[in-house]
Amino acid sequence: MKKITLKLFRYNPEMDKKPYYDTFKLEAEPTDRVLDLMEKVKGYEDGTLSFRRSCAHGVCGSCAMRINGQNMLACKTLVQDLKTNKITVEPILGLPVLKDMIVDMEPFFINYKSVMPYFVNNSPEPSQERLQSIEEQERFDDTAKCILCGACTTSCPSFWSNDEYVGPAAIVNAHRFIFDSRDEGAAERLQILNDQFGVYRCRTIFNCTVACPREIEITKAIGEVKKAIVTGSLD
Amino acid sequence: MTSRKVAKRGFNLDYIMWLFMRLSALALYAVGLTGLTAALVMGARTQTDISTLIRWVFFPNPMHVFSSDIVNLDGFINSFWQIMQITAVFFGVTHGMNGLRIVVEDFMGSTIWRTLWRGFIFFLWIFILLVAIYVVLAS
Repeated sequence: MKKITLKLFRYNPEMDKKPYYDTFKLEAEPTDRVLDLMEKVKGYEDGTLSFRRSCAHGVCGSCAMRINGQNMLACKTLVQDLKTNKITVEPILGLPVLKDMIVDMEPFFINYKSVMPYFVNNSPEPSQERLQSIEEQERFDDTAKCILCGACTTSCPSFWSNDEYVGPAAIVNAHRFIFDSRDEGAAERLQILNDQFGVYRCRTIFNCTVACPREIEITKAIGEVKKAIVTGSLD
Repeated sequence: MTSRKVAKRGFNLDYIMWLFMRLSALALYAVGLTGLTAALVMGARTQTDISTLIRWVFFPNPMHVFSSDIVNLDGFINSFWQIMQITAVFFGVTHGMNGLRIVVEDFMGSTIWRTLWRGFIFFLWIFILLVAIYVVLAS
């Protein structure tokens, strides 16, 4: 068992004039997850602590938080991986804080919806499935892994400075459909992203790639979208 | 896998400037290396020092190096080098000013200050270009 000092960002806009930090001392196994520690605090120390979580297995993307200064999923981050006994947990940056670790995801999802993140095909329905080769599927395999946790977008300095930028998550989800051989909406999506607040806001800082808990090569995907805009080729 | 193409993507300032930033960086390398090579061929190797050489690379203008020890400037006094100088100035100044515009776009938000800064950068770009081209042509 390790003795852990857990420093948590706290803010309740109905009660607090400004945010502050609460510190808790806990005992934890090296293989405990940060989410386990937070559950322990909420269950045994302070029931008012608020944070999002659902699957607790790195699939739903609810528990994206800033842990020791880096965006991570609390459910995938082990205490031993942080290599310190002092753990600071804060909400992800760039979105308004509603309470403690809970941020308003609405601006994020407005940007997400703006890039048409859904399948577009107006051709007559075939009698069987729309078939796709392994190579065609591999083209967007990486970006299809996105769980919409927001870790990438909220680690992006371009998004922090201006939330009109659609952000890496939206571009990743556009990429997933742009390069899908069955989809017919690529031209429209590329036109949406060919904008001041589209792909050109990406300054290739690579924070998004580092932050992604699904290890999606986000900056590469954004580069591929830029290339598609310039060349008009989806190969 | 069949080749897929998309039409109708449209042009806009950010698209053009994104391309320009990449191409102008390459062009600046090309212009700089041309100037450096020409300066070495025309005697810089034995007639000048590294600081003067660097000045020749980025702005091979005879007026700027009168005070240096270069004996023979004739090779650089012709319209080819004036065009090269104007090209270097245009790519360099436009590249730099667009960088400033990007900083403003990133950090000013949708305020009147953004519009004012954009205008200031535009006029600064024009002013520097005009002064530099005057210096090149008048020398």
